[in-house]
Amino acid sequence: NSELFTLTYGALVTQLCKDYENDEDVNKQLDKMGYNIGVRLIEDFLARSNVGRCHDFRETADVIAKVAFKMYLGITPSITNWSPGGDEFSLILENNPLVDFVELPDNHSSLIYSNLLCGVLRGALEMVQMAVDVKFVQDTLKGDSVTEIRMKFLRRIEDNLPAGEE
Amino acid sequence: MAVCIAVIAKENYPLYIRSIPTEDELKFHYTVHTSLDVVDEKISAMGKALVDQRELYLGLLYPTEDYKVYGYVTNSKVKFVMVVDSSNTALRDNEIRSMFRKLHNSYTDIMCNPFYNPGDRINSRAFDNMVNSMMMQVC
Repeated sequence: NSELFTLTYGALVTQLCKDYENDEDVNKQLDKMGYNIGVRLIEDFLARSNVGRCHDFRETADVIAKVAFKMYLGITPSITNWSPGGDEFSLILENNPLVDFVELPDNHSSLIYSNLLCGVLRGALEMVQMAVDVKFVQDTLKGDSVTEIRMKFLRRIEDNLPAGEE
Repeated sequence: MAVCIAVIAKENYPLYIRSIPTEDELKFHYTVHTSLDVVDEKISAMGKALVDQRELYLGLLYPTEDYKVYGYVTNSKVKFVMVVDSSNTALRDNEIRSMFRKLHNSYTDIMCNPFYNPGDRINSRAFDNMVNSMMMQVC
């Protein structure tokens, strides 16, 4: 039963909105918080799911959609829109459990409500030596029919410096 | 099928009132206001009675020459008042109950919206759509 989770996330976002007043700041905070969650979550994920090292970005995409999302949110997004170079793809979520019952008020139209997810994906992948750029391109809260997250592979992280926390 | 639907908070101020636009709206506002007395009377009469689904539905509050007023109160003392046209005699008790149940479900969905503060006026598009579907279409 994910209602407690949904309500908790909602309370978190509204509190951030009250604290920061400015939608852009809230988006940044959500991303930061997501990043901190992601760098820790990846360990739990790797321990529980027992997947090996991914050989290319396509495998990574499959693992994220079919294993990770299923394990933590109970949904399986579909993967589409691969770029010709194979380094960018879209995750399409038919329903997003974070936004059950939520309606964005008009004064928060530039708020990216589920931005925490972007941070989580970014943080988790950074811990497996992949730098990615994650952003929402469609959002059911803003009137689109599905929620679409675009992920772009930037580079492999070669240096062995420990990832800093923001 | 309904001509006016209102959601009243525990402190007896309106959270949401919607009537069909062709009629004199103020009349409906007065009707809803006066029906609150009847609601309070029924609530105090219930007293120590077991509160179950049937007790939430108050039934016909009072009939007037043109229309009938029905009431429903939740456990958190939020009241729903519905005014229906008397000429529409086909409406059975069961239908009124199911309309109130739908209202109650939509109300709980709004409560779960993190951007809604309990006690504010209800500004939700989903709630509006649901209420529109229940109101009579007068062309």
